[in-house]
Amino acid sequence: MTVRQPPPVRRTPRNVAFTRALWRHATVGVAAFVFGLWVTGCPKPPDGPRYEGAGADKPTYGGTFRFYVTANVRSLDPQIAFDTLSGTGIHLMFDGLLDYTNEAKLTPVLAASMPEVLEDGHTYRFRLRKGVHFHDSPVFPGGKGRELTADDVKWTLERLLDPKTQSPGAFFFTAIDGAGDRQQGKTKDVRGIKVVDRYTVDITLAELDQTFLNSMAMTFAYPLPHENYEAHPTDVSFHPVGTGPYVFDHWERGVRITLNKNKHYWQPGLPYIDRMVFDENLTPDVAAMRFRNGDYDHGHHFRQPDYIFFSQSDKWRPYMFSEPDVTIWGYFMNCEMPPFDNVHIRRAIAAAIDRERWARIYKGRYMPTGQILPPQLMGYDAKLPHAQKFDLDLAKEEMRLAGFPNGLPDPITVWTQEGESAKAQAELLQADLRKIGIPVDIKPVSFATYLTESGKRGRVPMALSGWNLDFPDPADFLDVLLNSSAIHDVASENRSFYSNPELDRILNAARVEPDEAKRTALYREANDITAHDAPWVFIYNPIEFQVRQPYLRNYTVHPVYKYNYRFVWLDLPRRRLAP
Amino acid sequence: MIAFILRRAAFGVLVVAIAVTAVLLLLLSFGDPCTSILGANAKAAQIAQCRKAEGFDQPVSSQYTSYLGLTKCVRQSDPAWNDDPAKRGRCGLLQGNLGNSMTHHEPVGAVMLTRLPRTLLLEATTILFELFLGLTIGVLAATRRNSWFDTGFMATAFLGISAPSFVTGLLFLNWWAFRMGWFPVGGYGEGFWDHIYHALLPAFTLAIIGAATYARIMRSEMIEQLQSDYIRTARAKGLPEWRVVLGHAVRNALLPIVTMLGLTLSALVSGSIITEQIYAWPGMGRLVVESIVNNDIWAVLGVVLFASAMVQLGNLLADIAVAALDPRVRLQK
Amino acid sequence: MDPRAWKRFRKNKGALFGGVLVAVVTFAAFVGPWVAPHDPALQFTDTLIRGDTGLPAAAFTVTGHPLGGDAIGRDELSRLLHGGAVSMKVAFFATSLAVFVGLLVGVVTGYFRGKFDFLAMRFVDVLLSIPFLIVATAVQMIIDSPSLWSLYLLLGLLSWTTLARVTRAKTMQVSELDFVQAARALGASHGRILAKHILPNVLGPAIVIATTMVSTMIIAESALSFLGLGVRPPAASWGSMLKEGQEFLAHAPRLVIYPGLLIMMTVFGFNLLGEGLRDALDPKDSR
Repeated sequence: MTVRQPPPVRRTPRNVAFTRALWRHATVGVAAFVFGLWVTGCPKPPDGPRYEGAGADKPTYGGTFRFYVTANVRSLDPQIAFDTLSGTGIHLMFDGLLDYTNEAKLTPVLAASMPEVLEDGHTYRFRLRKGVHFHDSPVFPGGKGRELTADDVKWTLERLLDPKTQSPGAFFFTAIDGAGDRQQGKTKDVRGIKVVDRYTVDITLAELDQTFLNSMAMTFAYPLPHENYEAHPTDVSFHPVGTGPYVFDHWERGVRITLNKNKHYWQPGLPYIDRMVFDENLTPDVAAMRFRNGDYDHGHHFRQPDYIFFSQSDKWRPYMFSEPDVTIWGYFMNCEMPPFDNVHIRRAIAAAIDRERWARIYKGRYMPTGQILPPQLMGYDAKLPHAQKFDLDLAKEEMRLAGFPNGLPDPITVWTQEGESAKAQAELLQADLRKIGIPVDIKPVSFATYLTESGKRGRVPMALSGWNLDFPDPADFLDVLLNSSAIHDVASENRSFYSNPELDRILNAARVEPDEAKRTALYREANDITAHDAPWVFIYNPIEFQVRQPYLRNYTVHPVYKYNYRFVWLDLPRRRLAP
Repeated sequence: MIAFILRRAAFGVLVVAIAVTAVLLLLLSFGDPCTSILGANAKAAQIAQCRKAEGFDQPVSSQYTSYLGLTKCVRQSDPAWNDDPAKRGRCGLLQGNLGNSMTHHEPVGAVMLTRLPRTLLLEATTILFELFLGLTIGVLAATRRNSWFDTGFMATAFLGISAPSFVTGLLFLNWWAFRMGWFPVGGYGEGFWDHIYHALLPAFTLAIIGAATYARIMRSEMIEQLQSDYIRTARAKGLPEWRVVLGHAVRNALLPIVTMLGLTLSALVSGSIITEQIYAWPGMGRLVVESIVNNDIWAVLGVVLFASAMVQLGNLLADIAVAALDPRVRLQK
Repeated sequence: MDPRAWKRFRKNKGALFGGVLVAVVTFAAFVGPWVAPHDPALQFTDTLIRGDTGLPAAAFTVTGHPLGGDAIGRDELSRLLHGGAVSMKVAFFATSLAVFVGLLVGVVTGYFRGKFDFLAMRFVDVLLSIPFLIVATAVQMIIDSPSLWSLYLLLGLLSWTTLARVTRAKTMQVSELDFVQAARALGASHGRILAKHILPNVLGPAIVIATTMVSTMIIAESALSFLGLGVRPPAASWGSMLKEGQEFLAHAPRLVIYPGLLIMMTVFGFNLLGEGLRDALDPKDSR
């Protein structure tokens, strides 16, 4: 066997030369690269709207309305969908018996009037509007939409309560007499729902509940024709048929949903728009740029820096909406876990948070608050006697009462959710608590982990938490978050595990109280107790911030659904402004 | 050759099975998707109902067997499905059913089938960019060693490698799409050519790191090859220089690139996560994040199944390609 | 090691420059925490947040804060100095671990082939199949209060696969070359062949990949911090600062530019250094 030498190689130190040359040329290359980026990045983006309207004073018909949502639309089946984004779509295609006005008050839609309460006090009688038709659809014989009747209301609610449907919304209708039997699959029929005649249906509750009518305004109760379900038992979501102003056209999953005008809508002269296109799955950055380009007619879900941009721009400012959201944000403290089992520690923390400072950093996005109820709800009081507020002396005094005048020896663990904004908020809290000698250890976890773990007893001592309404009633905040009946060993809604028999008594009385003034007084009292006992440190109500293009008209921010696109119109033709 | 492929395929199935089992056990230990899918407003009663309906109240072992499809299976098309919920069995993997995604209210297979072509389109564009830029620059730099071209592009390659894609992505989006208007500002578009147009900028962002790496590897391999005996022989035979470079040197310098391409295929899903996020590209990358964030167990498993199959395929193709390019490398095991 | 390697390295200005860059950054990482003018966690909200806009103050607008403030009013310079220490540690330890494991596995599997090769490569396949986020979440569940060491381990143990596969391919290629076959025929021990013939030949691509890994590690740290596996807030690292500044890119781009430039500079230095090292160690020039 011949043994060959390793391949001979030229002796010139080639690579040395390369790195030497690199050293010589690199600066020029880098400079050219940076210069190229700079030149191409130089043009200023438009600082105001690109288009304006024709200036009509009467609504114009026609046009395509383009908007977006920032995540996936999960379902367009009204009995299944349980998130705001899906709700936005469902709201365009379906009508409810009841709905909310822009002041968050209940108003009849498919019902001819607000339901009357029958003499037993447990039964609501709904009278339907006559001559309302479902969309034309192949699910109906002949393809022509048939008239909505009381049977549809009954069928829809029974589908909702059917265990096969697995609706997350069934929970809100358990108050109906016989709902439980239906949910357990014992009956096909719910005895509390009675069809009186073609246009009248009675709904009887097993026990009194003043919040029930709110459930009837949720999308879960929006009537669906049984033909729709029978034609598409597993995918109503892709073929939704309702009575609403727009008819479903096409859904390219994860990309966009298109709807057409319902030409036979029961409200004469409505809607104005011919075609609705909404893109799903956008990110806030892309959304902001596209909106400024004029690719969308309405913008929302912007991040803080974009908010600053719009609010600083004189050209955009007239088209901005900032409305306080019916939402509370703060930190809950687990009242069963030390040191938060000590009310003075909780009060000290509640008094140590400099809410104005937070609001300065998140300028225009946060409204400082010191109570659980947002301003839109009954029971809110701007001058609540025990409202939490920043008072460093009080905080130090409470620390002394708690027996820790020099602060806590060990750090408390504060859980926070993923994302830069949640992290920044934890750091703000950390800085505030440092002033009263409470060291904070921040534990960032994913949202799923946060939800699962914070519902477990004795697991999460303190965490950033928020609550957005299911429906605009104080019960939806106080009963869910702080009633001791909402404490469970797992999946507890009362994540602070706060239990106060006095508060429970007030809340349970308020839930069934028919008199509005008395009810308000009860909730105000509950509001005060919870602010004083501080199971949460209440920090702010976020401000919903949206922008419209100048030619988009008749748009308002909705307190419950956030977006009110149903009867918008476009001031066409739109005119391009100078860049 | 065929025996080799068959044996590799058999072990590939084993690897996929191990990966899926590991992920399933991990995910079940994290908790179930009901809490996160119902969201912050979920009530205990709703969560309990969801867990019961989806079978998450069952012990882990029976969830595993029913995912695999080892339990008796009543299909949704059977009349028994609607008549008696108790008889309802989830048809599993062995019956070709990947389960239902709870975030999308759709079978996982259907969700993946809508997302996959989008990611494939993006990845294919990316690979074209990577190969075109990386190989051209690498070969030209090697043949014009230490020239302005060489060092200038290599310095840029260094920069390209050191720039994180979430920064470059945002910059390109802001500059070239929003300010200059050369490209659409994110999204997916409508119709095939529009999709491609929308894919250009994200693909370029994705391709930077790959192209820079390829260029550097290609350059150093080419320099090495150009100095070896056979090149000298080829030159001595009087072949034109371009044939020496393209026919001989490039062919041999391609080996590491081919290995890395195989890896690209295996990073099909994970590689595009950040870029899909920035450009709002509705592909698999976003599906992964969404599913993991929501702990949508069956969707995550579907993706893992797909990703691990891609890893196997990528390896196999890379090995075959290496053997085809270099006769000295024999296919073993 | 070849005694002439150092001489060659010294003559190489580009590599020296890279070395100096790395040395400067490493030095800054060591002394940074001591020379930082402020506590990096202290929030000077009123001085560093512009009241009219809510935007953080820019560089050279507030005395005592030469680089201005970050999104919640902390001193940017101090955070950069403190953050550098963390990022450099992550880059160093995690990359070293990954390179060590990757080279070891790649060379051994590529040289010996056989059963171990087969098992190791299948293990790599499994690792590549499991999404990073899931592994990270699992680790987060297991470790209740993670330290930086668990971060190095996690990053290092998850990132060696590419290096291993490329090294393996190269090793296989080199093992078939005549001079290795010759050495084997002459009865050289495996250890000697690996050290003298194989390792120097696979080092080139390995160094190229390792230098790209440095930036990946610095960035990956910030991706992990949202799961609580990275630095604990309010501590800073360059990666996490880059992420914090991301949403301000259009309005206060310096929050991205400062840490971004530092990361780029560091990586550039490592790349030059790596290139120089590779040249210096290249066996072909030493003969």
